[in-house]
Amino acid sequence: MIVSGVDDIIKSLIRAVKSIQMYGVKHPSSKNFYDPFYEKLSDYLKKHAELNLEIEQFAILHSGRTVYEEREKDVSIAFRLFRDGIRSLRFTQGLTFDELLSFLGTIAMVAKDLDIVLRLWECDLLHINFYVVEEEEEQAMDYKVPEVPVVNIDYESKVREIIEKENIDINDVIKPELASGELDYLKTEISVVEKTPLLPTVITTLISLLKIDQSRDIINSLVVLLERCVDNRDFYNARRIVHHLRENTDIDPMEKFENERTIMGSHSLINTSSGEIFNEFIAFIGLFSKKSVPYFLKLLSYIDRPERLLALRSRIASIAQDDVALMKNFLDSDDITMLINVIAILNLMKADNIIALLRPLFSHPNPDVRSEIISVLANDFHPGVIAQFLDDESSYVRIKALRALTKMKYSRVYTKLFQKVTSREFRSLELAEQQEYFNCLVTNGAEKLTKDLEKILFKWMLFGHKKYSAVRKLAATALAYVDTEDALAILRKGLKKRNRHIKSACEIALRQK
Amino acid sequence: MSTSGKDIVSLFYALIKAVQVYDINNDVVQNAGKKFIYYIDTLLNIYSQIELIRYRDYIFFNKQRLRFEIDGYASLQFIHDKLKKLRIKSLTLSPGIDKDEMIIFASIIKEEEDEFHKKISDTKFDNIHIEFSTDEEEKPDFMQDGARIKRSYFKALRVTKNLMQNLWTKQPVDVKSTKRIVYSLIDALSEDELGLLALTTIKNFDEYTFNHSLNVGVLSLALGQRIGLPKKSLAALCTAGLLHDIGKVEISKDLIYKSGKLTEEEWETLKRHSDYGVREVLKARGLDEMGLISLTVAYQHHWNYDGTGYPGRIKKEDPLLFSKIVRICDSYDAMTTPRVYQPIPYLPHYAVRIIWQLRNVWFDPVLAKVFIQLLGLYPVGNLVKLNTGEIAVVVRQNQGNFALPMIKVILDKKEEKIDGNIMDLRAEKEIKIVKSIYPQKYGINPSSYFV
Repeated sequence: MIVSGVDDIIKSLIRAVKSIQMYGVKHPSSKNFYDPFYEKLSDYLKKHAELNLEIEQFAILHSGRTVYEEREKDVSIAFRLFRDGIRSLRFTQGLTFDELLSFLGTIAMVAKDLDIVLRLWECDLLHINFYVVEEEEEQAMDYKVPEVPVVNIDYESKVREIIEKENIDINDVIKPELASGELDYLKTEISVVEKTPLLPTVITTLISLLKIDQSRDIINSLVVLLERCVDNRDFYNARRIVHHLRENTDIDPMEKFENERTIMGSHSLINTSSGEIFNEFIAFIGLFSKKSVPYFLKLLSYIDRPERLLALRSRIASIAQDDVALMKNFLDSDDITMLINVIAILNLMKADNIIALLRPLFSHPNPDVRSEIISVLANDFHPGVIAQFLDDESSYVRIKALRALTKMKYSRVYTKLFQKVTSREFRSLELAEQQEYFNCLVTNGAEKLTKDLEKILFKWMLFGHKKYSAVRKLAATALAYVDTEDALAILRKGLKKRNRHIKSACEIALRQK
Repeated sequence: MSTSGKDIVSLFYALIKAVQVYDINNDVVQNAGKKFIYYIDTLLNIYSQIELIRYRDYIFFNKQRLRFEIDGYASLQFIHDKLKKLRIKSLTLSPGIDKDEMIIFASIIKEEEDEFHKKISDTKFDNIHIEFSTDEEEKPDFMQDGARIKRSYFKALRVTKNLMQNLWTKQPVDVKSTKRIVYSLIDALSEDELGLLALTTIKNFDEYTFNHSLNVGVLSLALGQRIGLPKKSLAALCTAGLLHDIGKVEISKDLIYKSGKLTEEEWETLKRHSDYGVREVLKARGLDEMGLISLTVAYQHHWNYDGTGYPGRIKKEDPLLFSKIVRICDSYDAMTTPRVYQPIPYLPHYAVRIIWQLRNVWFDPVLAKVFIQLLGLYPVGNLVKLNTGEIAVVVRQNQGNFALPMIKVILDKKEEKIDGNIMDLRAEKEIKIVKSIYPQKYGINPSSYFV
């Protein structure tokens, strides 16, 4: 039966395919073609339930009538389908838009070695059926059932022998019906197949084999899977592969990753929201060699979170195998971030000659660099050298030095601190820095401290008394912190003073105690 | 199974069950009717009509075959049996159908055959059309049909043979053909699962490895489909089944075809085929998704459910679901196939009993049960002696009754060959299977009844 409208549908089909070939499926122009095609085909299927098309080498037929013909092999849709063995197509009611789009997308593909049939099968289209002929089908059917000769043995005893050997209980009642729990078990098993990645199992298998079989197939496959793991950010399994390849073969699977492109390519990884992936990544890069250090130093500048910066620096120190000489090469870098990281890594390495290494940078113009140096000096316990930074021009650096000295309890710095605190310039400093000075003073002061604080507290001022009131408060607070009888007596004495700044400072300090 | 088809069948089942228990005015029936009609109305926006066709042992919903899967099995089985018993060939529901019409129809279809036919001829349905099958149509046609299925099977056999021979001779492997044949087998399975399964009775003594590989692929496919694996997984499972023994290409043919008892050393060498299988799959398939599954199955297909088996496991790894399926299918086909060192194999019936017995030991117990449901107690190709003294070959399973298959009498009481009738043992209440017997005794190749 020739049904009107089929020609129009086929024309729409051809237009849609050509448009997809030109612009791709997602392009709006293609949509202008496949939308009407879907509409026309759906209307047709609503009326006729199905649309059957026969495929010939260069033509598409409907009910024996040619509805499309194109003899140019490169452009003929009929030829493309025919070449892969498709001999008929059937569209049935219920066809969805997505199904049709998958179908169009597949038949529009132009790759030479593409097997359209396989692609269509993989699309699993419920409402588009196609009949395929395979090559040599007739030959395949040419099968003769082998003759079975009559064998004269005692079959009764053969059966008895099997029953005995296999210990078969022939009276056992077989009940293969499944209980609901067993149905659930199957559903779980299927969902495990669908959701659980297979790669870890395959890796385990190949690793087991590698111990007894170091053939190229196994080794190469593991190398390929290593790349796949790295791409998938599965660093746990990547480590397993590297570990076993190194243990069982003489190849270095890491070599191909030790380049700037690959290492810098992982910059998004170091800020991943997953702590687990980051930790696995850190563990994985432990397998890199020294030659990758320059790239990792660059990578450090991309890291956002301080705790991760610390972890990655520590890992780089380990990759560099505490090779101070290697790190020294980067101390003349113009890249401030890199320089700071290198100093920090040297700090982690606990190099013997750290002061000598860093001394040229003590006067580095960038305060962050000087600040980082203080961290190194503090870590290596060089308070005397740190004290030099109390004269630094940057308040930020001085505070860093003060904090370091506060922690270190270095009494020899006391005199210098006292001089600073009692100097005229001190009154012009920011309160935060003044506080750090007093903290440091209290920590490092000895017998003289209380007396010195009393002096500061009760100092007679004619001019600049307003600015000095902050210093009095800090001195009073320091005395309260010292908390000895003498210190408290001084504060109580201060309560009786006429100077309202002294009185107020002492009141506050005693209240806070 | 098509979701719409599956849902219709289950709603129809619920409605019939409701009218079997309650009066048609009862709320339970009314609600079941309402639900059914609501769903039908939704579908009628897409389809011009709803058609359920019974053909062979299957139900088709608007020309799509509904697969027997574990989930929804009972309802599909019930509807199939009901239509078959009442000799209904097709049932068409048209737009305009309402709840009352459907409930009345359900109350009639619930009846036994005579009562049903009496009532149905007295009642007029505007929007339900029933077509009955003729006696001729009721004859099972699967013995003469299925050319396409056979083509797929034999093409697959040729591809499997080429694949293994190429690996044996270190020639390049044609991956495309393997892929295509797997999909073609999946299509054949959707067309007629039992017809395809019947072809696994083909056991070629001389080409054991090829036939065995294909049969394991087909049996695995059928088991996978029965438990409801999606199509993509079925393709992977079938490929894995075809390739499970591929490691044997690295073992000398002398050893593989050795007829005598194997020495311990030879046995150890033979066991290495699981290891070699991995290497061969890598050569044949590379590391694509199917390759990964196939190599895992090739490695694990002798792992037992209880943790024993070979090769040894590093930790207490669980085998892949696919490996567990292939473990069963491989064992079954190996047991039932004549080989050099086992010229008289196990009868399928006893192989099934062994699988039952070794569930929880060698085999996953749930999969073993589904496998037995699939093959039945007397699998296709099994020769049986009847209480009538005749000998028959099992030609098809009865879905839902695993112990009473369809048989064809091939030898009369005097053990003379005859072209007997096909009988459904569910219907032939007086005919019983007495025992399973060996076809070799009579020089019969059971597969000749299916090819």
